[in-house]
Amino acid sequence: MQETIFSLLDVERVYTLGATGWFHRETRQLKALDGVRLELKRGDTLALVGESGSGKSTLIRLMLGLEPASDGRVLYGQHDLAHLDAEARKRFAREVAFIYQNARGSMNPRMRIADILAEPIRLHRLCEEQAIPARVEALIARVGLPAGLLQRFPGELSGGQVRRIAIARALAAEPTVIMADESVAGLDVSVQAQVLNLLRDLCRESGITLVFITHDLGVASYLCEKIAVLYLGRIVEQGPTHDILSAPRHPYTKALLQAFPRFDAPLCASLKGEIPSPVNLPKGCRFAGRCAQVQPACLEVDPPLTLLTPERQVACLFPVVNPC
Amino acid sequence: MNQVSVLAQNIPVESSAEAPLLEVRDFSLRRKKATVLDRITLSLNPGETLGLIGESGAGKSTLAMALIGLLRAPEVEIEGSLRFRGTELTALKEADFRRLRGNKIGLIFQDATAALNPCFTVGKQIAEPLRRHLGLSASACRARAVELMQSVGIPEPRLRLDAYPHELSGGMQQRVMIAIALACNPELLLADEPTSALDVTIQAQIMELILDRVRALNSSAIFVLHDLALGAQVCDRIAVMYAGQIVEEGPSECVLNAPLHPYTQGLKSCVVELGMPTLTPIPGQIPPLDAMPNGCRFAPRCPKAQAICGEQRPEAHTRDERQVACWFID
Ligand SMILES: Nc1ncnc2c1ncn2[C@@H]1O[C@H](COP(=O)(O)OP(=O)(O)O)[C@@H](O)[C@H]1O
Ligand SMILES: Nc1ncnc2c1ncn2[C@@H]1O[C@H](COP(=O)(O)OP(=O)(O)O)[C@@H](O)[C@H]1O
Ligand code: SF4
Ligand code: SF4
Ligand SMILES: [Mg+2]
Ligand SMILES: [Mg+2]
Repeated sequence: MQETIFSLLDVERVYTLGATGWFHRETRQLKALDGVRLELKRGDTLALVGESGSGKSTLIRLMLGLEPASDGRVLYGQHDLAHLDAEARKRFAREVAFIYQNARGSMNPRMRIADILAEPIRLHRLCEEQAIPARVEALIARVGLPAGLLQRFPGELSGGQVRRIAIARALAAEPTVIMADESVAGLDVSVQAQVLNLLRDLCRESGITLVFITHDLGVASYLCEKIAVLYLGRIVEQGPTHDILSAPRHPYTKALLQAFPRFDAPLCASLKGEIPSPVNLPKGCRFAGRCAQVQPACLEVDPPLTLLTPERQVACLFPVVNPC
Repeated sequence: MNQVSVLAQNIPVESSAEAPLLEVRDFSLRRKKATVLDRITLSLNPGETLGLIGESGAGKSTLAMALIGLLRAPEVEIEGSLRFRGTELTALKEADFRRLRGNKIGLIFQDATAALNPCFTVGKQIAEPLRRHLGLSASACRARAVELMQSVGIPEPRLRLDAYPHELSGGMQQRVMIAIALACNPELLLADEPTSALDVTIQAQIMELILDRVRALNSSAIFVLHDLALGAQVCDRIAVMYAGQIVEEGPSECVLNAPLHPYTQGLKSCVVELGMPTLTPIPGQIPPLDAMPNGCRFAPRCPKAQAICGEQRPEAHTRDERQVACWFID
């Protein structure tokens, strides 16, 4: 049995929104995450997918301990992230690395690449000061870039190079878990393919546990063995990537899959409307307003995430039988 | 406002069936001696959709901007010909271009937030081309704006008419931009990465909408796309651009399903399809404009390059229904 690294137990994250009008001084509650249950084992590669606004980034911020859960618990190993002591917090920061969505924006434009990569090594005191340059050179080689770039500034690098540097920086502290938010979005396919191969090799060679947010199901299928589909703050389906993509059981997953552009199928606007705001969640199923197979019962009952098979979970009262 | 919807009227295309709507011939564009577009040749028939694909920096947006006269001499140096319904665009005065732009040629950009004016209501912005090009009265403009908003799937258009862009979601802003682009029933629609910033679900809605409207008006469209599979879904023809040149052009099912040019083949093998076992990236990157290779511009990255490729530029060969610029097509 693999060791469990992260457990999310009925995690909720509520944001309080300010007053909207002159006379309406009351505040509103936005439930960005609502009853999320998730278990991550060592060596897992998990893709979080779902439309923007479904709660993916919020979930990752909670798992990184950057924000507290409003309710429920986020456990790292046996420890509640909300109650880590200083020692455990330091270890967590070294073991769990994050690659930001905006790689360029996450780097100080006035720092040379060499110093950007040396920073985490110094911070975690991973080696003697004189050993740092060699370590930095090994890092940049590991992401397939020439050592000549070390003396440059982030502004002098291309989009693809900056993403690689962001990956190298995440690797600097030799983490066991990497979390990444849309790390290949907006790249040309040629550069995206290079970065995806790099990430895949890293995970395979070093057994790194990966949590990867993407809106691209192709990217998810290439990098990750598992997928969790989020909708309005809830995981609505999760399981092995191959099973989910070949036979989606949640109508939302099926619709996402149909909307994904492919060479061998016509354009398909499978989903009407847009994801609503999580401010006023409906009483029944949160997907009912857009679901192609909604039934009267769906407006009354909020379907919990239930086991279909030991590996596969779905939150739907009437799971899809004929997938595509 | 009369009862018959203006949208329902079919605007006949003046040119005869065999005359292309748009003809680009040996068109080159230089910025400070750097050749950004190099002898582009293309033609588009009425009712056809064309996709421009290729890595960023290939010159796709530059070509689109030149087509609508937003890039002209003396800002850039231009050579060759751009003909729209038989009219030579490169010779057109700015005032005449203004009559064309937003009227016979509609525009959709990637970033609706940047393209829409934050200070004016959505209704005002949709009404602007109606007033300017069609000379409609204020009340007729409003009525037509409501109709247009309805046609692009904006719910409760009457209420949204007075909304400002920031009050709408990204998808809704994109719909507003489509309404503006289609306001005067254009014969040609230019859409530069219209859905790159949107979720796939909204992308499919917007693309379906654009195609639907384009077909209803019997217009032609040029899409700049970075998603090859989307290109296969929405375009009749595909032109693959590399470093300012068109390297392969033809019916989309040929170009994308059985690419002949090594660059198109390389692009295709970078696309992540579902359940794909491996990706083979194209090594290297597009050379900078001031250091373009003499022969084939793709030679430094091409797995099939031979000595001649470094010396002579390959001319476009015709194969079946497509044009391929490569010395060695198998
Ligand atoms: N700091 C915040 N304050 C208020 N609302 C927020 C905040 N962060 C996220 N949200 C809201 O929470 C929901 C989920 O957002 P997010 O986690 O960013 O989704 P995703 O990453 O899937 O696009 C959205 O409705 C978003 O507007
Ligand atoms: N305003 C500009 N000034 C100078 N060079 C530019 C400008 N806009 C684009 N370029 C250059 O022209 C070439 C083509 O760019 P562009 O048409 O934007 O390509 P694409 O749309 O295919 O990504 C690139 O080398 C780019 O750097
Ligand atoms: S519970 Fe009902 S509305 Fe919700 S996803 Fe399932 S079928 Fe659709
Ligand atoms: S001409 Fe030569 S270098 Fe250019 S694409 Fe063809 S084989 Fe490759
Ligand atoms: Mg996000
Ligand atoms: Mg562009």
